[in-house]
Formats: sequence, C-alpha cells, structure tokens
Amino acid sequence: MGPGDGALNAPAWLKWTWVIPALFLSVLLGAPITMVVQHSLDAVSTFEWSSTLHIAALAALQAFTSTCVALAVGLPLAGALSSYQFRGRALTQALVTVPFVLPTVVIALAFRGLFGSLLQPGFLLVVVAHTYINLAVIVRIVGATWQQLDSREVIAARALGATPFRAFVSVTLPQLRGAILSASAVVFVFCFTSLGVVLVLGDSSTRTLESTILRESSLLLDFPAAALTSVLQLFVVTAALLIGARASMLRTRATPILRIARAPRPRLPRQRLFVYAIAISGVAIVLVPLASLALDSFRGQGGWTLQWWQSLTSIDSGTTRLGSPASAIAVSLKYALISGLIAGLIGVLAAMSVLTHRLGRAVALIALAPLGISAATLGLGLMLSFGRPPIDLRSWDLLIPLSHSLVAVPLVIAVVLPTLRATDSRAATVASALGARPTRAFFTAYGPTLRIVLLAAGGLAACVSLGEFGAASFLARSGDPTVPLQIVRLMQRPGDASFGVAAALAMVLVIGTVMLILGVDALGRRRTAR
Amino acid sequence: MSIHASKLFIGLVICSTALLSACGDSESAGPTTVRLLTHDSFVVSQPLIDQFKKDTGISIELITGGDSGAMVAGAVLASGSPTADVLFGIDNTLLSKAIEADIFSPYTATEADSILPTLGDDTSGGVVTPIDYGDVCINIDDAWFTEQRVAKPTNIDQLTSATYKDLLVVQDPASSSPGLAFMLATIAKYGDGWTKYWEQLRDNGVAVSGSWTDAYESVFSGGAGDRPLVVSYATSPPAEIVYAEEPKPKKPSTSVLTEACYRQIEFAGILRGSPNEEAAQQVIDWLLSAPVQADVPLSMFVFPARQGVTLPEVFTKFAAQVPAPLQLPAGDVNAHLAEWLKTWGQVMGR
Repeated sequence: MGPGDGALNAPAWLKWTWVIPALFLSVLLGAPITMVVQHSLDAVSTFEWSSTLHIAALAALQAFTSTCVALAVGLPLAGALSSYQFRGRALTQALVTVPFVLPTVVIALAFRGLFGSLLQPGFLLVVVAHTYINLAVIVRIVGATWQQLDSREVIAARALGATPFRAFVSVTLPQLRGAILSASAVVFVFCFTSLGVVLVLGDSSTRTLESTILRESSLLLDFPAAALTSVLQLFVVTAALLIGARASMLRTRATPILRIARAPRPRLPRQRLFVYAIAISGVAIVLVPLASLALDSFRGQGGWTLQWWQSLTSIDSGTTRLGSPASAIAVSLKYALISGLIAGLIGVLAAMSVLTHRLGRAVALIALAPLGISAATLGLGLMLSFGRPPIDLRSWDLLIPLSHSLVAVPLVIAVVLPTLRATDSRAATVASALGARPTRAFFTAYGPTLRIVLLAAGGLAACVSLGEFGAASFLARSGDPTVPLQIVRLMQRPGDASFGVAAALAMVLVIGTVMLILGVDALGRRRTAR
Repeated sequence: MSIHASKLFIGLVICSTALLSACGDSESAGPTTVRLLTHDSFVVSQPLIDQFKKDTGISIELITGGDSGAMVAGAVLASGSPTADVLFGIDNTLLSKAIEADIFSPYTATEADSILPTLGDDTSGGVVTPIDYGDVCINIDDAWFTEQRVAKPTNIDQLTSATYKDLLVVQDPASSSPGLAFMLATIAKYGDGWTKYWEQLRDNGVAVSGSWTDAYESVFSGGAGDRPLVVSYATSPPAEIVYAEEPKPKKPSTSVLTEACYRQIEFAGILRGSPNEEAAQQVIDWLLSAPVQADVPLSMFVFPARQGVTLPEVFTKFAAQVPAPLQLPAGDVNAHLAEWLKTWGQVMGR
C-alpha cells in the first residue's frame, strides 16, 4: 500500500465505516427498488415495448448531446476556477452552482422568457437548458480533482519547452480523465431522467422515460407499467453510472502533495486574460437567465415596482396556502440542515470505506444509484414500500429530508472520494513510526482533509435539499410547503401578482443558495490556508 | 480544527436534534384531530378552520399529497390503511379508479340535498360528496382581437379555419390537467370524430405546451407570448383581477369561449380505514357548509357545489357562466383513458 494508492494505514474501527451507509442504503434504496422490480413483473406481458424503447433511444441521444455540450462549456471554467487564485473566484464558484439548485420549472420559464420566439421548444432548447443546469456538476466534480493536481508537473513540462496546450493535453488531461468520465456519467444520467425541463422546453424529440413513468403512475394509475418503465430506465442509468464509477476508481497518476497547496495567482498577462475571460463568460452564462427572472420580480404593468417584494409576506395571508414565504424559507432551511447533516456524514463514511474495506467499494457504487433512480421511480418505490402497512412511514416527518439526503449522497461521494484519495497517507505512517496509536495517526493524516470535505459535502447536500430534488414531491406532507414548491404553486395561477411574487421568491432562493455556498467555500479555504 | 468550524458543527448538531424532537411531537396528536389529505392547490381561509375547532373541538391537520394525480395514486396504494381521514380534491377523471380501488368509506353529507342537482349524478351512489366545480374553457385575449380586427371565436369548430390559424395553444393531456379536460371535451363533443378534429387543429398550427404555466405565461398573448387563444379555466378572468397589481384594473383583459367547456367536479370522501370516522363525517359536512362554500370561489377559483351561495362580485361580473358544460361518464374515462392518450399522442406526434 503505497501512498499513491490512497490506501490507509488504518485503525481497526475504520474497517467498519461501511456498515452505516450500507444500512442507510438498504432501507431507503433497497426496499423501494425491490418493490418496484416486484411490481414490474406484472406488466411484462402487456407492456408496450417498442414505443418505450423508442423513447429510451431518443432520451439517450439527447442526454449524450447535452453531456458533450456541458463538458465543452464546463471544463475551461473548472480549469480557471481550480488552477488559479483570483478576485471573485469564490463568488464565481458559488454562482455556477445556483442553476443546479433552482427548481427546473423556474429555469424553464426563464429560458422561455430569454429566447422567446428565437428558440422554439425542442431538442436544441432542452440541450441548452441541461447544459446550464449541469455546469455545476462538471465544475465541482472535475474541479475537486483539478485542485489537487501538482502544478509543478505542468511547470516542469513548460520548462522543457511544451506549449501551454501541449502541457495541458499530455500532463493535466490524463490525470483528469477519471474525474471527467465520472462527472460525464452523472450529467448523462440527469439529462436522461429529466422531467421538468423536457415538459416545458421539449417536444416529441425530447421525450424521456421519466415523463412516461409519471403518466403511468399518477394519471393512469397503472403501477405495474410504471414500475417496468422504471426498471428499464434503471438499467440504462446503472450502466452509465458503472462506467463512470469504474473511471473514478482508476488510479490517478497524481503524486499526492503533502499540503493542499494554494493555487497561484495568474501572473502572465496572457494567463490573466485567459482566466478572467473564462470566469466572466461563465458568470455571464449563469446570470443572463437569472437576470430576466430578477427583472420580472421588479417589473409591473406600469413600469418598475417593489410591490412583489413587499407582498412576499402578505400575499395569500390568512389562508392555508401561504403562512408567509418566511415560513416556507424556514421549512426549506430546516430540511436543508437535516439533509446536509445526514448526507454529509453518510457520504463521507461511504467514501472512507472505499479506502478501507473490500465491501466499501460495493457500498459506494450502490450509493451512486440514487442519482439515476429518478424522482418518479423513487417516489413510486417509497410509496409502494413505506406508504402502506406493515411499514408505514408516511407520517414520519424525517422521510422528506431523508429522501433529499439520499439524492445528495452520491454527489457528496463524487466530491469527497478524489480528495481523500489524493491525501497523503505518509503522514499517518510517520505518526505511527513516532509511536502514535492508529486512531491518532489516522486523524493526523486525514483529519484536516476530512473536516474540509465534511463541511463542503454538508453544504452541497444542503443545496440539493434547498432545491428540493424530485422524490419528496411525491410524498404526502403536513405543515408549510418549501420554497420551491411555493414558487411552483404561485406560477400555477393567473395574474401579474402571482408571477411577480414567484419571481421574487425565486430570487430569495438564488440569494440563499449563493450565501450558503460562499459560506461553505470560505470555511474550506480557511482550512487550506493554514 | 479551528474553533469556528467546531462551533459551527456543534451548533448544527444541537439545532438538528432540537428539530428532530420537534418533528416527533406532531405524531402525538389527540383523537380530535382529523387529517385532511388534499392536493397542492387546496386553499381555505384560516379563520374557518379556527371556527370549526371552536364549534366542534376538532382540529384539522392538512396533509399535502402533491398534485391531484399523485395524491390519488398514494391513496390508492394505501387503500384500507390511509395516512389521512378525509380526502379532498379528487375529480371526475380519476374518481372511478379510486372507487374501483375501494379507497372510500361511503358517507352522505347531512346537507346533501343542498348540492346542485347536476353535480350529484356521478357520486358513485353517495360514496363521495361534490364540494366544488369548475369549467375548463378556451380563454381569449380580447385586446389582440380588437387590435387585429378579427372576430372572436364563438365555438371550437371555427378553430380549424384559416381565420384562426396559429392562434391557439393547448396543453399536453398527458402532463396537464386542463389539457386533459380539453381533450375529453373534444371526445364528448365529437364522439368518434374527435381524432379528425385534432388532425385539423394540428394542420391549422395549434401549439402544444407541457404545462398550464408555460401555455398561459409564455405562449398566450395575455402573458408573454403571441397566441391569443389558450386552454384555461372559466374563472381565469376573475383570477386575473384578484391577483393583479395595485391599482387593480376595472375589468379583465381576457374573456371565455363558453362553448365546449369540460366540467371538472372536485369531491371529498372519508378514507376507508380511518380511525376517526365520526369526526371525519363532520369535516365532510363542514366542507359543504355555507361559510366554507362561500370561501371556495376566492380561495381556489372554483364554483361552490352548494346552491344559493352568494358569489363574490368579481365572480358574478367576470367568471363565465357555461350554459351547457360537457362531461363524460367516469366509467368511460376510466376504461379508455390510456387508449385516448395514446391516440392523441399519435395524431399530434408527441
């Protein structure tokens, strides 16, 4: 077990870290999937194979295109953000994450407003919107690895006469291959199972299995057919994730660096131009659709107005619809906090167990599954397994944040694993040699990294929860609705006020997300800058 | 580890513990709580719920089950051992599926004879109680027709003519409730000829949106779009006034094509297996009581099922009265829906 292996010189208890994530997954994932598969058997004979397979093929083509475009836009941005230190870097990184967190309906409407009749609903518009939403996945996952690369290798290559491009292709790119493939797999899966975007921005060429599942489960109430479609979707998604996971398990050539070094400032004018051009265009891409939303929140029939922001606290007051958006914000924050905590812990434990136990790899692989188990499938599975006796968890309030954290865990692993791998375990060896007990030695080596990744992971999971990913909307709930749900509800009725207040509430979500990510990133930086 | 980070972490742990224990409390609610399962769009004025508690000692706990379809799906899967005592908001398209799955315990409201006679036809023999109704109709952007000097359409046959080419936007019936209602309206009106009507609509440039929100806000010229005809509700014009910017306009800029409207009725029923059946019956009676019925129009933009309820002025003035709404028998819808949706998809290439 050399240091390059990322394997630990581990204390005994560390071998058991896989147990907790395994339990978590088998209950929240194993049970629903088992039920879905069991129900799907009833539909095999009556199932409409050809039309379903046709939709699957369309969705695969769309997802592949979206992934390629997202890579083309995301990679330069990831590079600029992770290899250089510059003013506004933290804010750029935070802003890029926002589209990922906003409710898809809001993004879809912003795009409709932005492109108007220029770009009609269809393939192109769906690809553009998917790129926009998934930019954060590329930047965050690839960036996490990129930050860890030893810049001395590139410097050496440059000193030996390689052009910057040549140095990138032959030194940097091979080391990023694993991260790029695993990020691509995640993006592919998100686009393949997309629902909100394809409903609003798509046409017949962008159908997904997800929309079929939704129709079968909540319009036709044909649960076996919905289950079988889910199983088909699961099949494609698992294949994609396995390819990605295999890639991320590839050993990187990176020589681990003892300290996470601070990225350099761009020194040459050319570097500066490159970094700022990319950062500014990245911010522009993110902000333009958001800006149209921001304008909507200040625009009335007769010109500019503060009405919508003022009525954030008063619209629908005195009814059961909206205590106040303040209460929606409180509910969202509560769920975000709980899911951040759960997903951060489970994700980090799963990532650690990859390095410490044979079974850990399997657990981490399985933990990627919620990415592809679409909202509709998971919602159906949760209803089938926990929505009725003997195990009735429907009235259990934790089910919603738990389902949020289930979706966040794979993202946490994707961010944490490369960082842990790149951490130098030689410090532990040195500490042991000096007489420290295994536990102490372990924390000497991994403690600082663990604290960073735990905070970053928790923050990421909290963002996912704030954006209220999928499955939870299928679960019955009591109490006030969350912010995303409230936005969608307001948009579902006529009147300028409904639209204006929804836009204002969406801006609240944007600002909240940016602040959360800035906070988490700042904590991480304080750690690395010691 | 820096002091800040550890403080933050301890803080997080304490907060979440407090929240978790707060979550636990709601489960220990007493026997006089009735859990009312509704869809996302359910709204009622809070004072009515408070008054009900004062009068009967029963508290109502609202449980939201997603949109109408997701709510019914959940209730069907849990048939016989429900999460809630009363379900509100199942409409006539899904009713017969729910009856088939035997999710309700029959109850006839004390004041059942106050219900508009036409609404009582389809309660599956008094198993459920109609609470409100609304009509899905084509809405018209009046300003556009005045400006372009084109006559407003008066029936949906005209929509296939050259005059109205590229002017209509509808919703996909597979993903939108008004879209589904409009498709059912064409089936009720044209019978077997309904696919031919859609072929003509298609050839005349009808636009299809995935959701009501997109159709109404982005494609309809009353929103940000350029098509002056959209499938919406007979009550959309009054909603335009109520949710308008201050100072409110004197009259709405949209009107309603009252031919070929599809009637949606929303029912409430007691979920079979409820441990509080008696209190649940009182909640059904409450939903049908005059004060709640009078609240329904401005809360949910639907008409009360009860006769003789005074409507708010904005309704009497601007909500369209539909003389002959269309409806299909619930059993027919149940039997053919999958096939109809498939046919529609083939005709429209969706």
